[in-house]
Amino acid sequence: MNKETDVIGSKQMLAQLKETDMQGNRVFSQLIRWRWPTLIISLLFFGVLAVNAPKLTRDTSSDAFIDPLDPALLNRERVEEIFGLADPIVIAVVNEGKDGIYNPGSLNLVAWITDQLMRVGNIDPDQVTSLATESSITGTASGMEVDDFFETLPVAQANVDRIKTGVDNFPLYQGSLVARNGKATVVIGELIDPDLATETYQEIMTLLEEAPASPGDALHVTGEGAVAAYLSTYVDSDASRLNPLAAVVITIVLLLAFRTLRGTLLPNLIVLLTAGGTVGAMAASGVSFYVITNGLIVCMIGIAVADSVHIFSQYYEEISKDPLADGKTVTQRAMSAMWKPVTLTTLTTMAGFFALALTTTMPPIYYFGIFGAWAVGLAWLFSMTTLPAILSMLKPKQSRSFRAATEERGLSLNVTGRLMHRFGTAVVNWPLGVVVTGTLIAVIATVGAMFVVANEERIDSFRTEEPIHIADRTINRLMDGTYYLDVMIETEQAEGVLEPAVLRQIDQTQRYLETLPNVGGTTSIVDYIKRMHQAINEDDPDYYSIPDNKNLIAQLFLLYSASGDPSDFEEEIDGERRLALIRANVAVNRYQDNSVLVQRVTEHLNESYPVAGASATLTGDLNVDYHWIDGIVKSNLLSIVLCLSAVFLMASILFRSLVAGLFATVPVSMAVLFVYAVMGVSGIWLGVSTSMFASIAIGLGVDFSIHTLHSMQEKISAVTGSWNERLVTLYASTGRAQLFNFLAIALGFSVLMTSTVPPLVRFGALVGVAVASAFLAAMTLLPAMALVFKPAFLHSNQTEKE
Amino acid sequence: MKFSLTILSLLTALPVLLNAADLDASARGIIEAVNAREDGNHVTRDATFELTDRRGITRVEKTTGYRKYFGDEKRTVIFYTEPSNVRGTGFLTWDYPDAGTEDDQWLYLPALGKVRRISASDRGDYFLGTDLTYDEIKKENKIEIDDYHYTIVGDTVIDGVPVTEIEAVPINEAVARELGYSRIVLSVDREIQMSRHSEYWDVNGNHLKTIHNAGIEQIDGIWTVTEVTVVNHKTNHKTRLLFENIDYQTDVPDRIFNQQMLERGLR
Repeated sequence: MNKETDVIGSKQMLAQLKETDMQGNRVFSQLIRWRWPTLIISLLFFGVLAVNAPKLTRDTSSDAFIDPLDPALLNRERVEEIFGLADPIVIAVVNEGKDGIYNPGSLNLVAWITDQLMRVGNIDPDQVTSLATESSITGTASGMEVDDFFETLPVAQANVDRIKTGVDNFPLYQGSLVARNGKATVVIGELIDPDLATETYQEIMTLLEEAPASPGDALHVTGEGAVAAYLSTYVDSDASRLNPLAAVVITIVLLLAFRTLRGTLLPNLIVLLTAGGTVGAMAASGVSFYVITNGLIVCMIGIAVADSVHIFSQYYEEISKDPLADGKTVTQRAMSAMWKPVTLTTLTTMAGFFALALTTTMPPIYYFGIFGAWAVGLAWLFSMTTLPAILSMLKPKQSRSFRAATEERGLSLNVTGRLMHRFGTAVVNWPLGVVVTGTLIAVIATVGAMFVVANEERIDSFRTEEPIHIADRTINRLMDGTYYLDVMIETEQAEGVLEPAVLRQIDQTQRYLETLPNVGGTTSIVDYIKRMHQAINEDDPDYYSIPDNKNLIAQLFLLYSASGDPSDFEEEIDGERRLALIRANVAVNRYQDNSVLVQRVTEHLNESYPVAGASATLTGDLNVDYHWIDGIVKSNLLSIVLCLSAVFLMASILFRSLVAGLFATVPVSMAVLFVYAVMGVSGIWLGVSTSMFASIAIGLGVDFSIHTLHSMQEKISAVTGSWNERLVTLYASTGRAQLFNFLAIALGFSVLMTSTVPPLVRFGALVGVAVASAFLAAMTLLPAMALVFKPAFLHSNQTEKE
Repeated sequence: MKFSLTILSLLTALPVLLNAADLDASARGIIEAVNAREDGNHVTRDATFELTDRRGITRVEKTTGYRKYFGDEKRTVIFYTEPSNVRGTGFLTWDYPDAGTEDDQWLYLPALGKVRRISASDRGDYFLGTDLTYDEIKKENKIEIDDYHYTIVGDTVIDGVPVTEIEAVPINEAVARELGYSRIVLSVDREIQMSRHSEYWDVNGNHLKTIHNAGIEQIDGIWTVTEVTVVNHKTNHKTRLLFENIDYQTDVPDRIFNQQMLERGLR
């Protein structure tokens, strides 16, 4: 390209830009002319949306994260329905002394807790299980004795041995009701309304403060339902505390950036309008507020602030350029200059959020994507209407940050402006060095990202010193396990599971399950039949077996069921005796471990069934957790690729150049790489919450790309001089705005790092890393690449034709 | 004049005062009348148990049984006739009038070929997989008078028949725990001295179950329940009990209620 065409091109480009500016000018001059109606209509629009906000429902359940049509979930729900399974609340009495819990103090504590638990409103008093509610069955010469463990209260030393013998003779209670080493015993309660699990958990925690514990006794409360429900509220309450704090930090950054009241308050107004409008829209469309929607709130703050920061920067630049111009003129000029980049970033960010929605399997993340895109659009709308309407009413006042501008045209001499200018000078002087260094860093980050491990453990979301975390670890160390992996046995006809051949295979499957890592014990109808068979035969251990006579099996079972309530065996066998459940108690619920378990059990079931007309299906919480986390892990890469593609496509269309699309994806790709590198190096697992960090990084990071690209295009086309000279000018203006944009988001998110909730700390840290890397990459790599490759899209189309 | 007015006002107030004091006594009186209802010295009957689980799957079991009073002592024996794999399984119970003496229970499993003695069940335990407790089965629509405080709630109509609703609240927490109820409301048909319908609440006050005597007939001059439906509102489990071939006339020999007969049973 010779200098002549360059000049001609620039002239035409200038003409074209003037043309667009003229259009923009016209639009905004009309808008400012009708500023009162604009303001009122925009506020009315907000009001219409926000009025729905109180209707918003919270859904903090953990099942909310699973696609309601997920086959593993449907399967588990079917099994839960058949066998009436409910997530219990488990209270453990632990005594690590010589005799364990076999002492009057601990046993009377069990009696007290049982009694108190039965009085808790949301606990079904008929379904409380503990040593205080159960009986021991003893076979005698003449028949069978069924005695309550706690015949008389308070339990006296004389009865302790009888209770211990009773438990020792009853394999079904070992590991499930009393620890195999006698150091712990549990009181198990069933919730009437599972949605109140958190409240019930807290009520029980308060109740236990009064418990008459004797020396050596420790109490712990856990249970899958309680943990899952409590986790959501735990995250939720911390997030609702920290989100406003993030807004305060961002406000401080704004104050530092503009040092004016309007520059500090108006961006907050846009944040408020965007957040209120989005929450209102969610409520109106019947979408719940999920625990991760908290993340959306912070993202909205980031997005809405970004638009305002750029508009305000331009606004104050316009004032310093022409201090005598009135409010209308200044606003009109600022908006004419900024509407295009702000619109471009809006469209690319929306594309990123939509891609996230399209690739996720989890409803909360789907809505995160949809309403993320909606919020971006809303922030744009308010920044384009409400903001200029108000600004035009205000008398222009110089910002002290911009006041010193400018005898040297277009260059503000404030500290940050100078800093950015110096930084820019370094970049444009060594473009090749920057590109090579960037590439090297990317390679190193890729290596780091290789170390990312896909894993998830719900209890790990609590700090290790949280009572619920300690309870989980202690109970699962001493007992057989509070997590379940289930196998459903299905036969073709009624009474089918009472066939000796079927029962023997169930028995073998139990024995196999017990050999697997973390499986503490198993339960099925077989255990009850064997125990009855022994009891009816004078407790002779040789009879702890499955009888060969099918009628005897049916009669033993009738005998056992005769002594219990009608729903006692619901969890083991259905009313027709056609279906049976094998339940394995597992001490750990961690994706990597579940992966091994699920794989090995599936192999065993495929090899061993069908047998005698019985088939087997793997189910249970662990199976569900394994499958959906597996889905997240496997779709993660696809999600990132699609988000990046969306950004690429949108940027290509907007800049009418594929090369521009590629340029736009470079900083966000760097952001994604850095997020994964930090995860890989610091051992943060790729799991449920972390799987969406990359997409958020893309959504928030793409703004930096687009603003830089747009500014580069403008500078290259509009200013004379060498490319270096032209590009360096963007640092003091766009660069400075981006710096504050970056600081606002990064510092805002870093507030989350003070959280007591590990996932929020990780969220804050990783988004900070993402925004920092996107900002730095946009400010270094893009201008450097422009200088190295001199891409055509940076001049006008007309220039290309010539 | 003044004096007579006072007398008059006292006289008008008196029935009201008396009424309040009387009501509880009369509630207890109604229950006492229910307990005094004739139920025959002995009876032979077939019973069908229809047990329906939460999912609506029904299991049907059939039994044939005898009951006879030996003074204040009551003996009951039942044998399963269906399903075929439990046919001949028998339960024999000797129920002693003294609350302090534990009932005796024996069991016969034909596939084992032995009679086994089993320790007595608690009053609040469920009976043979039904939604009725041992206490309810044993009492046969009567109530242990000293378990509850009684109050008249009012009058209503059940199955087209006028009934008196009586609320019964266990006398203390221990009894409540033992029975599993914090409150029951009985709808007593005072014509036949029998409850036609009753509602139960568990020890925490949750609605537990409803017992409805859907079929009541006079057989051999004795008011007899021929159909009972029970719905457990917490578990959604349902029981339907049908009594057939009820016979208060034909003599039931004493020897039917011993262990040898339990073993010979239905053979």
